[in-house]
Amino acid sequence: MTLGSFTAAEMFTWLVNQEDFLLLDVRNDEEFGRFKVEGPHPIEMLNVPYMEFIEMEAESVAKIPRDKKVRIVCAKEGSSKFVGEILVNHGFADVAHLTVGIKSWGNLLAPASIVQSEAYDLIQFRRPGKASCSYGLVSGGEMALFDPAKNIDAYLDFAREQGSRLTKSFETHRQADYISGSEGLHRRVGAEIVAPEGDFKEAVFPYTPARHGDRHRLGSGGPEIEVIHTPGHTPGSTCYRIDGRYLITGDTVFIQSIGRPDLGGMAEAWSRMLFTTMTTILSDLPPETIILPGHYMDWEEADENLIFAAPMAAIRERNADIYAIDNPVDFYAFIKSNLRPQPEEYAKIREINAGLVQVDADQQEIMDIGKNECAASLRAVS
Amino acid sequence: MSDATKISKSLDLKGLACPMPVVKISKGIKEVAVGEILEAHTTDPGSLTDIPAWGRTTGHEIVDASQDGENIRFLIRRTS
Repeated sequence: MTLGSFTAAEMFTWLVNQEDFLLLDVRNDEEFGRFKVEGPHPIEMLNVPYMEFIEMEAESVAKIPRDKKVRIVCAKEGSSKFVGEILVNHGFADVAHLTVGIKSWGNLLAPASIVQSEAYDLIQFRRPGKASCSYGLVSGGEMALFDPAKNIDAYLDFAREQGSRLTKSFETHRQADYISGSEGLHRRVGAEIVAPEGDFKEAVFPYTPARHGDRHRLGSGGPEIEVIHTPGHTPGSTCYRIDGRYLITGDTVFIQSIGRPDLGGMAEAWSRMLFTTMTTILSDLPPETIILPGHYMDWEEADENLIFAAPMAAIRERNADIYAIDNPVDFYAFIKSNLRPQPEEYAKIREINAGLVQVDADQQEIMDIGKNECAASLRAVS
Repeated sequence: MSDATKISKSLDLKGLACPMPVVKISKGIKEVAVGEILEAHTTDPGSLTDIPAWGRTTGHEIVDASQDGENIRFLIRRTS
């Protein structure tokens, strides 16, 4: 028997198809506790750190069931190979390790079609390692992105397969939880960045300000992209309404909960802004508007096609406790009761996303990994 | 320098990626006497959490961990 290998994209397919395998994560317990693989269905997962295989080989091997396919992940591939070889030497029949390491899982983008029509295609790029979603709109040989992640090659490959040119990159707000791909796309293919001035005033790269009521278009007969200013999560937070029906909300509206307004250190002022947004712009939305969020908290928010999209009416009903709050004082009390610290790298990521600091690729990988912390409600402990 | 912080052995593990720093430290700690200090220099950022995790697994004490640019230095006391 020899040790096999697999990619993050293959692993995502297995998780979607509920294939029978054991996911063996050999990173140390601290890294494992910080960030682990999640999927749409329960995962049979074990954490046995590779240092335990070094110190207590027999006891560690005995922890691994012999009747399962074993698929091993670690930080950078070396340790998963090391443990994989040990298991193969102990007679395990079907063992493989993740190439590149956990960062390739963190960067994986899994596209799914939201709508495919004659006039345009709308695609959700799910990022299972971050629990975030970016979007692509394809029309008339052009493609626009909304809140792209830094893995820009994945989008460029996708555009190429569609026979489209990537021409625009829209930002709903200045992200704190992941590094944006917009600046990289501007540099690589000259994509026009459209972003709200409220968040991007200090940005050092050129961008077209997204102003409330502006209308953008792609190609010749493409759908209208309408700019709707929805301050709260950040002062600049903006939603983009496509074809009058699909609302890309960034971190303003989620399927579960709502975007937390405390990440900028001005929780009271921003929570007041968010309350105003909720009780004016959001409450005026047609109930059938399809919300396309920037994040999810859990895969159970996805629909039967594993897409994160829901009508506004369903979101109001699901989050009735939040949307029923009728005054800013109670709303701030709700925000305060859910406050929790933000990850320490968020301040630095915000600076990177305005082009104010440059960090090397390795450092970006380290900062960019891990699930987002953007929703106001406390995460259920599973 | 007192005996308590005297370095008995030093390992240059710069440039090595995981799992090698832990493999070498696991071997190196057996070459110092109980109570003595092993020094290890690494550059793999993963060692910042991996070596303390190894210490929790084995019971050996991480006396000090310091970072200067990409260079990381550990002082580890053999406890048993």
